[in-house]
Amino acid sequence: MESYGTRRLLDCGLVNAQNSIDLTAVITTPENIQFEYRIAGPFRRLPAFFLDFVLRSVFVSAFFILMLLVGATAALPTGMIFFVIFLVSFAFDWFYGLFFESYWNGQTPGKWLTRIRVISVDGRPINAYQATVRNFLRLADFAPMVSFEVFSSDSPPVYAIPTFLVSLLCMTISPRFQRLGDLAAGTMVVVNQRSWVPANIKLEDTRVASLSELIPPNFRMTSTLAKAIALYAERRSRLSIGRRTELASHLSQPLLKQFGLLRDTSPDLLLCALYYREFVAKDTFSDVKRFAPTPSADSTNEPVNAIASDSLPPILKAPQ
Amino acid sequence: MNIAELLEKRRQGWVELEHMCDSLQSMQYPFANRGNQVSRFSALYRAACTDLAMADQYQLPPASVEYLHRLVGRAHSHLYRSRRFGADRWIRYLSKIAPQSIFQDPCVKVASVVFFGLFTLSAMIAWSELKFPGFPERILGKDQIKMMKDNFDKPLEGNFNQYVLMAGFYIKHNTSIGLQCFALGPLILPSLCALGYNAVVLGASFGYMARSDVEQGDVFFQFVTAHGAFELTAIALSAASGLRLGIGLFATGGLRRSESFRLNAERALPIILAAVVLFFLAAFTEGFISPSPLPYFVKACVAILSSGMLMYYFVVLGYPRPDTDRELENNEDNPWRKIGVDRATR
Repeated sequence: MESYGTRRLLDCGLVNAQNSIDLTAVITTPENIQFEYRIAGPFRRLPAFFLDFVLRSVFVSAFFILMLLVGATAALPTGMIFFVIFLVSFAFDWFYGLFFESYWNGQTPGKWLTRIRVISVDGRPINAYQATVRNFLRLADFAPMVSFEVFSSDSPPVYAIPTFLVSLLCMTISPRFQRLGDLAAGTMVVVNQRSWVPANIKLEDTRVASLSELIPPNFRMTSTLAKAIALYAERRSRLSIGRRTELASHLSQPLLKQFGLLRDTSPDLLLCALYYREFVAKDTFSDVKRFAPTPSADSTNEPVNAIASDSLPPILKAPQ
Repeated sequence: MNIAELLEKRRQGWVELEHMCDSLQSMQYPFANRGNQVSRFSALYRAACTDLAMADQYQLPPASVEYLHRLVGRAHSHLYRSRRFGADRWIRYLSKIAPQSIFQDPCVKVASVVFFGLFTLSAMIAWSELKFPGFPERILGKDQIKMMKDNFDKPLEGNFNQYVLMAGFYIKHNTSIGLQCFALGPLILPSLCALGYNAVVLGASFGYMARSDVEQGDVFFQFVTAHGAFELTAIALSAASGLRLGIGLFATGGLRRSESFRLNAERALPIILAAVVLFFLAAFTEGFISPSPLPYFVKACVAILSSGMLMYYFVVLGYPRPDTDRELENNEDNPWRKIGVDRATR
């Protein structure tokens, strides 16, 4: 039974029905595929903000000096020079984020350097309207402002130091780490990090293959066990030998008993053998044609449907 | 075929897609033979999507699944880019949707009544010297009044240099204040305070300067006449847009709170954009026409013309008509459109 309260939470995305980790946003594409974005939290976004701030200040002051130099050499009226300086600093204050986010597909230079990107909550890239709203509302996210007087009582009472309390509060409450501007524009900030193409794991130890022969042929791995073993095999190269044994023995002891192997078999070796048996030796796909053929690099002129898999259930097929 | 071989086979397609994304990002895409590349890109993207969907069935290792999520996300953001608005869409937005949505917004009405009401009230009080003797001094302060008097002591004159300089300053200063009013809207109080403060202070200055014993009054009114209409309207509008944003937070109209906030931001945007345009117009008028020694007749004409323009845009174009109402009822750009299923349940 699903109560109304749960439904509302589900609607808000506060309770994610699919995975309980709230650092990912699940997007459903028009191809009916679900993929995940990792959401960027405040500690990823703050460096981007400061980078942007520094870049902007450096550019505006460089421009200021340049214009003064131009004014000193060429006989331009000073009024004209200050007009341009006022206009440029105004534009940089209010339209910097708007311009870059709408032309660089959701990234400002600071965001590009810290590898994050703004997208709509539905997964599409943001448009100029959304960029306008989320950048104009930045000031509310800075609130409450603190005056310079906190540093020394002589300073003028200029309230110019942002505390970011509103945005932090808002990010804590909202399901996707959204600040006020993000909520108003319907956007979120996601991690745009590239990850390396996963390589097949190399198992140098020659005993692995022979041990895998000893595992009873009727032993069938569940998919969760297969996942756990794949994760272990990916990470074991970064672990010390003692740590490998410690981690692997939790799983290897009951398995060794079940397989009837010697109790002093290395736990690490057993898990490697299981990995080898499941991912390398086992003929999982006997009928190769059932699976999608790999698009090869030279087939540029081939019609699209040559690549679409014919083994897919109808719902997964993109409309041609 | 085992999983390791399958991965090896699929990897070629993934790497190619990754390269295509790289070159799209750095804008080095060879645009000759574009159609083929687009179809190739979408084919590769669909193949990667399929791999991701079948990850469980293929028993892909977690690192590959993680990689696929990133790759599909990256390709997705290149494939589904936002479209630019066409010219006709902009024209419709500027000539119909914006004035109509500003005209029908209750927040604009409230902000205008509050602003111009307080302004008039403050001006009347400051003007009636006998009944409220110390009012302008208490509102503006003695220093401020002295400064104002000094400013308007001499008849207006100036050169092009000053005009341009001041126009630039007004654009930066006044428009920033207007945008701040909008940005602080979600916190409600700052917008209202800015509105009230500006109304009372401006009203007091106007009222004080209108007193018969203040000699600088003539020059003051020569200065403010031309740009007054633009600037006062812009102040009221920017506060109205802030108010609209803030109201969305608690008057949700049956929507989810976040959804109502989003919708009201959409409604506030035409108002603040109109205010920004007015601030720019006011800055140029204030920079070039107001401080010039042109005869008062010309400045009055500018004031009448600018008021006429405002009336035409906000009232004539904004007044609701049955035919445009029907046309805009379901227009996706209209922030006051009927809320369909797509918006309410998203």
